[in-house]
Amino acid sequence: MSKLCMGLFSGSLDKLTAAGVILSGAAADDMDVEVFVLLQGARAFIKGNEDKIDNVAEATHLKDEFMKSLEVLNVSTWYEFFEMAKDMTNVKIYICSLAGKIWGGEKLEDFNDLVDDLCGIGEYLTSAEESDIHLFI
Amino acid sequence: MTNDELIALEVDKTVDARGTACPGPLLEAKKAIATIDSGEIMEILSADEGTKRDIPKWANKKGHDYMGTVEESGYFKIYLKKG
Repeated sequence: MSKLCMGLFSGSLDKLTAAGVILSGAAADDMDVEVFVLLQGARAFIKGNEDKIDNVAEATHLKDEFMKSLEVLNVSTWYEFFEMAKDMTNVKIYICSLAGKIWGGEKLEDFNDLVDDLCGIGEYLTSAEESDIHLFI
Repeated sequence: MTNDELIALEVDKTVDARGTACPGPLLEAKKAIATIDSGEIMEILSADEGTKRDIPKWANKKGHDYMGTVEESGYFKIYLKKG
């Protein structure tokens, strides 16, 4: 069973969606996954923010076409991808406690149901060391 | 197997994933294969190019038999035998 460690720094819609697709691929391969949500990413995991992510990191001038395309192609939302992945394989989502505080989340209850726990930076690096694949998004 | 032989196979499970984009079809295939028995045949219908390459590789990795792909008009059918 391969291990995947993901450092999820980004909170933009395009990168969250990409992370979601990668997690789905990992789920199809029955991988063990740990996601450490850092800085910008933490905003997306605050309870109630799932639908409030509407910024893209790249090709911002083409944002409307990009969003329209996702709709036309019937692409799942980033949240749905994460949910599906958690459903199919072992995916743990940890929010860096500092990142959480930056966006107003102090306790686990302030975050949505995808989140398993808060964490510190040491745990992210240890996980990266022990994984077969390490990604930073 | 030839196209005619593939189409003539008795399929035990059909997964119509033509409405979903990658990685939808792959995940549907994964869920569906758990519901059939070893030796049974599953066909997956998809219109997604990435899926056409993903599923055969995934099937081999998981110990299933990739039997072939048949091109239809606007979509394709992948045949797998559960390992």
